[in-house]
Amino acid sequence: MNEKPAYMNNDIEIAINNVSVVFKDNSGNNVQALDNIDFDIHKGEFISLLGPSGCGKTTLLRTIADLLEPTSGNVRVSGRTPKEIRLMQKFGIVFQSPVLFEWRTIKKNIELPLEIMGYSKKDRSDRADEMLEMVGLTKFANHYPQQLSGGMQQRVGIARAFGIRPEILLMDEPFSALDEFTKEKLHLDLLKIWEKTNKTIVFVTHNIQEAVFLSTRICVLSPHPGRLSAVVDVDLPYPRTIEMRDTPHFGELVSKVRNSFEGGSL
Amino acid sequence: MIKRRKSLWQRLKENSVAQTLSTILLPISFGVLILVFWQTQVLHKIFNTDTNTLPLPSRICRIIIDNHSAILVNALYTIIVAVVGLVIGSIIGYLIAVFAALFQKWGAGGLTIVGAFNAIPIVALAPVMTNWTKDVSNDPNIRSMVAKILVVMIVCIASMSINAFRGLTELKPFTLDLMSSYAASKKTVFLKLRLPNSIPYVFTAFRVSVPISIISAVVSEYFAEYIVGVGREIRENIVLGQYPTAWAYIVVACLIGLLMYGVLVAIESIVLKSRRVK
Repeated sequence: MNEKPAYMNNDIEIAINNVSVVFKDNSGNNVQALDNIDFDIHKGEFISLLGPSGCGKTTLLRTIADLLEPTSGNVRVSGRTPKEIRLMQKFGIVFQSPVLFEWRTIKKNIELPLEIMGYSKKDRSDRADEMLEMVGLTKFANHYPQQLSGGMQQRVGIARAFGIRPEILLMDEPFSALDEFTKEKLHLDLLKIWEKTNKTIVFVTHNIQEAVFLSTRICVLSPHPGRLSAVVDVDLPYPRTIEMRDTPHFGELVSKVRNSFEGGSL
Repeated sequence: MIKRRKSLWQRLKENSVAQTLSTILLPISFGVLILVFWQTQVLHKIFNTDTNTLPLPSRICRIIIDNHSAILVNALYTIIVAVVGLVIGSIIGYLIAVFAALFQKWGAGGLTIVGAFNAIPIVALAPVMTNWTKDVSNDPNIRSMVAKILVVMIVCIASMSINAFRGLTELKPFTLDLMSSYAASKKTVFLKLRLPNSIPYVFTAFRVSVPISIISAVVSEYFAEYIVGVGREIRENIVLGQYPTAWAYIVVACLIGLLMYGVLVAIESIVLKSRRVK
């Protein structure tokens, strides 16, 4: 029997083929946001897109999600275009802010995508209950978003994303607005959910420690123009624990990542 | 820890009971003060006027009580004009906003034109409407009602369409991306995002248009063919020199305004309750 975790099988889930994105800025000049990005993301992998602001990591995530068309090159997800995958409703997205609808209760917010996808009332309710339990917010099912703290709101956003059982989870700096303590807890929660569900996660961050702690691999992006500097394998075993952050190996990985930015250390 | 003694003022400011008391009690006591000055004729001295031009509150009260059945009929007509005009105007305004939101290329420009309509003074609009509607019915009462309702309607369209358009288009960041990631259709985005997002803006529009609807109902009655309504009674009684009766109707007009605003605030607090929980 195959005892290896899914991500070690190296089946390609997302193929990013020579993707370049050029924007026009306000004064009409071309700005190269992404320059010829080319790499593959494996099935079940937890991959981080890491880089300082301006490196195009969010842009890259948006091209995968079909929220943005690359200027040249293409993205293939399970051999299909991102648009096809989006229309098949296989993407779950978590944004920088929770993006909850304040007129819906927490539970109804989690049910929103299920409603759009035409699930029956009972299925929606069951699934939402399951997700609420997963993120530990069962007690708050009938609360409104504005009654919850920022960390709890972001957990609702994660529950909503996992609720549709997506093939691929795209997370755009989901914890950047949270305090360290909340962030640490959500890291562990997210890893637990990931290990349980075996989904592919693409995680955008500018925090090196966060990327090392969570990921199987890290794509290091450098700015102006956004380009892929390095892909770093993170060989820390799962399940990961807070204590691992204090090991010399963790420190070595962090410096390795830091040194892989083009133009040396940041 | 150093314990700092807070001033009485500081403590009052932080006390929520004192807060609510001051927001309710202060305006009420100011009103009572005015009434006292009025009744004791201090106001008359200040404004150098007599009790015929500015009748005493007790006299006005007396007239309202003695003529309550006639006043009620007139008030009812004014309320019908204001409410029907408000409702139809707001529905049309909302539909215009929906249209503008669906076709945003021209929509924003179209709304500027609607906004320009808002600049037409009611006094100019009312006689025009009376003239336009003279063939609507053989019954002068019905003709006049249509004319008056049209005036209120036109005035209410602008505030609703402009506010509702904002509510339909000013969406929180990433909400459209979120809906797009679910492959939601335009219709779904409208029903599940834009429509509920616009509700608080609809109430903002009502807060403006409810008082305006009464003002325009009263003013349009001045110019209407058929003699009925609070506004018309104010005019008739002033023309006849019956200032106390005119004042009674002015008070009634104020009461109608307060009543309708109160109903609005009550409905708003129920509808938006969930959004305001803390």
